[in-house]
Amino acid sequence: MTNDIDLEAEIQRLLTEHDRIAEQGITVQRRDHSIVLGGEVESAQRRDEICRQITSRYPEVEITCDIGITRAQAPSEVEEIS
Amino acid sequence: MIRIAAVGDVHVDKDVVGRYRPALEELPDRADALLIAGDLTRHGTVEEAQCFAKEFGGLAVPVVVVLGNHDHQSDQQEQVTGVLEDAGITVLEGAATVLELNGHRLGVAGTKGFGGGFAGACASNFGEREMKDFVGTSERYAAALREALHSVECDALVALTHYAPVPETLVGEPLEIYAFLGCYQLGQAIDSAPVALALHGHAHHGSERGRTPGGVPVRNVAHPVIKQAYNVYQLLSEEIETSLTSV
Repeated sequence: MTNDIDLEAEIQRLLTEHDRIAEQGITVQRRDHSIVLGGEVESAQRRDEICRQITSRYPEVEITCDIGITRAQAPSEVEEIS
Repeated sequence: MIRIAAVGDVHVDKDVVGRYRPALEELPDRADALLIAGDLTRHGTVEEAQCFAKEFGGLAVPVVVVLGNHDHQSDQQEQVTGVLEDAGITVLEGAATVLELNGHRLGVAGTKGFGGGFAGACASNFGEREMKDFVGTSERYAAALREALHSVECDALVALTHYAPVPETLVGEPLEIYAFLGCYQLGQAIDSAPVALALHGHAHHGSERGRTPGGVPVRNVAHPVIKQAYNVYQLLSEEIETSLTSV
């Protein structure tokens, strides 16, 4: 586990700026001895790529991945705007 | 009555093509138009725009979009816009369009918008050139939205942006980044016109519902917020003709 106090910020920038990721909606939280990733992405490939790139850049960091895939079903309800 | 389907932040690339299509094929039974609140792609490349056009083009309802910050990442927003327009998709930036739907005229005015913050925590046009450029950009997009909103005559007017016009729909995001998620100037522009509904995206961890200070309903339709292919909003619901009601 790195002691770098800026680790969360560095991971956040990696997720946004890496050309294979470009995700701004992922939360990064340090918990005990791991980094917990949250939020949602559009595909399982994107979720897996996020974990792969973090592991590649920070091999000493243990990752807990709670990233979900946003559902894309049709809605069942209409909201009336007034 | 007009029913509007809306979503934002779909971030289409090759890996997403096909995910939305089953729900989109149902659109004609559910809504009269589809509005998309920016971040259509991941990096704003022509190839990704082609994927978006394949997924969201050729629908049986009109599709109107604004670009988002992701769609500017590769500095190819003009080419991206061209790809979308070739697919029959209307792209708004400081512009408006009018759709004839069910005998009603739906006006949609759109801009990407920009950050800047909200009352009590907003950036000022002061100091370093970079700061003045930042706030000047916010003001420029808001002015363009205001002008677009006032340029149309219609029965119902919708404001479509990527960045948020109010802080209420950002609740859930870290307070520290509100200034990067929207600006109050967009809300002022919306309140200057008879807007029935304001739609935006960008804030993946935000909240769905809010109102401008002037009372206009605001909906954050970012895909991770609404958690379905699109939401449907009904405008111009048939009102009871009171003069014909017996007393």
